[in-house]
Amino acid sequence: MRLPPTAISRRRFLRGVGTAIALPWLEAMAPGPIASANAAARPPLRMAFFYVPNGIHMQDWIPAVEGTQFELPYILRPLEPFQKDLLVLSGLTLDKARPHGDGPGDHARAMASFLTGVQAKKTAGADIRCGISVDQVAAQKVGQLTRFPSLELGCEGSRQAGNCDSGYSCAYSSNISWRSETTPLPKEINPRAVFERLFGHGTPSEREVSRLKRDHYKKSILDLVAEDAKSLQGSLGGPDRRKLEEYLTSIREIERRLQEADRKPIQTPAGSISAPTGIPAQFGEHIRLMTDMLVLAFQADLTRISTFVIANEGSNRTYREIQIPEGHHDLSHHGGNKEKHEKIKRINRFHIEQFAYFLGKLKSVREGDTTLLDQCMIVYGSGIGDGNRHNHDNLPILLVGQACGKLRTGKHLRYPKETPLTNLYLSMLDLFGVPTEKLGDSTGKLQYLSL
Amino acid sequence: MDHRHLATLICGLYAVTWLPVPGAEQTPAQDSFAAQIRPFLAKYCYACHSGEKARAGLHLDQFRSEQDVLQKREIWEKVGRAVRSHEMPPKGKPQPSGEERNRLASWVEQHLSKVNCSGPRDPGRVTLRRLNRTEYRNTIRDLTGVDYKPADDFPGDDVGYGFDNIGDVLTLPPVLMEKYLRAAEEIVEQVWAKPELRKKVFPVTAPANQPGARRGVLRQNLEYFAKRAWRRPVTQTELNKLLSLVELARTNGDDPETGIKLALQAVLVSPHFLFRVEQDPEPGQRIRALNDFEVATRLSYFLWSTMPDDELWTLAEKGKLLEQDVLEKQVRRMLQSARIRALAENFASQWLQVRNLASASPDPTQFPGFDDELRRAMYMEAVLFFETIAREDRSIADFLQADYTFVNERLAQHYGIPGVQGPEFRRVELRNGTRGGVVTLAGVLTVTSNPTRTSPVKRGKWVLENILGMPPPPPAPDAGELSEDPKVVESAPLRVRLEQHRRNASCAVCHQRMDPLGLALENYDAIGAWRERDGKFPVDASAELPDGTRFNGPQQLKEVLKTRIQDFRRCLTEKMLTYALGRGLEYYDKCTVDDIVKALAQKGDKFSVLVLGIVKSDPFLKRRGKEERP
Repeated sequence: MRLPPTAISRRRFLRGVGTAIALPWLEAMAPGPIASANAAARPPLRMAFFYVPNGIHMQDWIPAVEGTQFELPYILRPLEPFQKDLLVLSGLTLDKARPHGDGPGDHARAMASFLTGVQAKKTAGADIRCGISVDQVAAQKVGQLTRFPSLELGCEGSRQAGNCDSGYSCAYSSNISWRSETTPLPKEINPRAVFERLFGHGTPSEREVSRLKRDHYKKSILDLVAEDAKSLQGSLGGPDRRKLEEYLTSIREIERRLQEADRKPIQTPAGSISAPTGIPAQFGEHIRLMTDMLVLAFQADLTRISTFVIANEGSNRTYREIQIPEGHHDLSHHGGNKEKHEKIKRINRFHIEQFAYFLGKLKSVREGDTTLLDQCMIVYGSGIGDGNRHNHDNLPILLVGQACGKLRTGKHLRYPKETPLTNLYLSMLDLFGVPTEKLGDSTGKLQYLSL
Repeated sequence: MDHRHLATLICGLYAVTWLPVPGAEQTPAQDSFAAQIRPFLAKYCYACHSGEKARAGLHLDQFRSEQDVLQKREIWEKVGRAVRSHEMPPKGKPQPSGEERNRLASWVEQHLSKVNCSGPRDPGRVTLRRLNRTEYRNTIRDLTGVDYKPADDFPGDDVGYGFDNIGDVLTLPPVLMEKYLRAAEEIVEQVWAKPELRKKVFPVTAPANQPGARRGVLRQNLEYFAKRAWRRPVTQTELNKLLSLVELARTNGDDPETGIKLALQAVLVSPHFLFRVEQDPEPGQRIRALNDFEVATRLSYFLWSTMPDDELWTLAEKGKLLEQDVLEKQVRRMLQSARIRALAENFASQWLQVRNLASASPDPTQFPGFDDELRRAMYMEAVLFFETIAREDRSIADFLQADYTFVNERLAQHYGIPGVQGPEFRRVELRNGTRGGVVTLAGVLTVTSNPTRTSPVKRGKWVLENILGMPPPPPAPDAGELSEDPKVVESAPLRVRLEQHRRNASCAVCHQRMDPLGLALENYDAIGAWRERDGKFPVDASAELPDGTRFNGPQQLKEVLKTRIQDFRRCLTEKMLTYALGRGLEYYDKCTVDDIVKALAQKGDKFSVLVLGIVKSDPFLKRRGKEERP
């Protein structure tokens, strides 16, 4: 694929005036290797968080030994090509998913606390409250470097009727990203919608035609309605004001993006990519297509931060593709039944296979003299250990990618009991250039990641 | 705290005798706190939760009376829960007996549900509600004539209290705002491309001989559009601001049409369109009555999931809508309109949970007959059944048992009803009681089954939650499941395996209430078809409740449910009030619910009594200010 000439000249121009940091990382699309590895033009670090529900059959997840000489157990075996690129982290705990007086509701709490380390307020709707999530901490600090501060992706929409989990609003068990303690960020589940969001709709020429003027008009509209919202905010109180704040924040975000578009026109990273048509019928294909979108977004440097919910917490979907007609959640309460163990294992492995596909894609993209995977750190895991016990300690957690050479991967590390999962996130935020004192229940950074 | 939640807590206690939840009527002795509760706290709690170093900042020693407890409802909900669930006192500390625990927890539950209905009532406060996907699409359709299908791809609206129209849960993240912007652009383009739609949106035309009147006409048209979109009159200032966009286009060298389209887009992404705005009371005033326009909007979104129609609008403009007989007449008109389908599609489909049919996935090897056609037919049956009760103003007891239902050929086949041909639905009379009423809808029986087998537990739970309004608490995480081992499955019928499960005392309390209700439905397989055998065992649909009530099969189950009509009235009222208000119910809503339940009992349980009771209630017609409560 050839880099459009305009982009090259723009790039040279930008370098000339010393603002290369703000450049999208386009080397991967350049015709040949980049000759001078300018320090400032190093590929940026990306982070992503993958979530799977209902816990994991841990006996087939945890490697038998620690250190570098470990064998990947049944569930993780599809990751063999990436064994050198990953860390299996055992012993981490999500304390805020435990009841602490709030009774049942482990699924909702697990998902809500997974990236926040904060205990979800028990409410079926009024006054939902959790905490800011690690991805959003990063997005709010460095998200403005890319067109989208972060992407929230997933493969299951919100539940359609009934209660989600024991008196907890469905907002807790279908969202993993929290922009603030009161605002969860919903995920996009349609690959076509993601593509259009990333690269616009219509033909490439239509996309650019009179864009500047249209953007100018759009800004005027946004200014006008933002005024309306502000004046409403003055007259309304409490939660209403918060809703209007959400509205205003969204408006500001879009305005920022319009400005960004003026500076950096959108580039579709590969000529061969065409917009997906919608949600594929097969679940595996759906997951893979969504990860394709994420690879594209990383590749074109449209975002550096993403969350990805493979299925909502408590999901009871069936897995026909691998001949499992029972619901995942029903199965996860296995009561020690062997046949159910077997099926859960296969579902766990099915998810990992799709994840392996994603990693393979990342690895196939060259960035400078490394691969896109090398510039990533990707968490994969669940906020529940064993689906039957609903425990939240010794969680299944992977960290994949060398984070631009900052992580020493290829190991199985076991941490002391009760080490907060959020400690991992503090370390990641540090690597990401967003040092943070505390996230939820964190107690410090996680050791041994970079040794 | 809402009633359903309370009911959850109380399950354990009242399960054994299967009594109704005690209400405020049972007044305990004067300040029972000092007599009954403080000794417990002193014995088991003060050691950690008192004094300067009270753990978790919880100063239980500072509570001295019932009144103190009622001031801190949130804390006490948690205390009751923690003690009931054995979470507190922690292991290693002196433990209260089971009876002591129950006494504390039930005292807390009873007192938190207490409310005085004789004084001024708290109407509550509904959080600013964003239009959900359905409401957005319907509103755009009625406002512009454009059926905007991409609205289905908007990010999912999260569900709270069982419904997807709850103000607190409906957020507006950037990804959705982007979609609103794009939608506004596309919708306005579509309107402009079609003369008939253009005329609907901009009905005023300039007199042919007065070209100079164009500006005035534009102003009138824009005002007409904006006031309908914002569901209230617009001010001249607001109008001028919109017109400034027309000016902006002109100064950029574009034609007036470009500017007009910008103004229309601005109307459609304004917070006044996307949210249902209701003004707060004036400072110093605690409660205000909603005005005609606000009530027209509440009414219209409650019953039709869309903006007010011309008739409601005209009455609101004349200031007549709030007159009692006018309001009642309008509600009756709305109930009889074809648009009441929206209440079935949006309220009933969530109440009955048949909306989950969309993701139901019965095992294709066991149920090869289940396909999308049948899935749709099951859904339609539920919708049409509900719609009929609403439109014909029938008794809500029909939900429990009815001698009619709606089928097309596909569903009739599934039910074994002969003589029905073609894909269109029709009403059929039922003779033998195996169908009719919501508990025997194939859709309900399907969404309460596992993919591979029926689940008497899920069905029983569904009845408790959605018919009797007494949801059982969730199981302990390690409660264990029924064995699915083929050897075990073949060794005994499902009911026997359930009985084994019930032997565990901690499970028994609730399962004794749930399982019988589901077991009586065992004649329906996991997709709701009638069966006489389950695997190699004949179906046994007999059941016995903890109070000794025995029944066998669906007909008798329905008879039992009919004796519980008072619980059903309350349950349905609570669900519909939640949906109508877009917020969870609070303890003070009990007065409203009580009034409606009483009215239903007195007036033949007519559907319109329920809806009118809601519409004429304080929570529906009034609004409380920011933080204060009366």
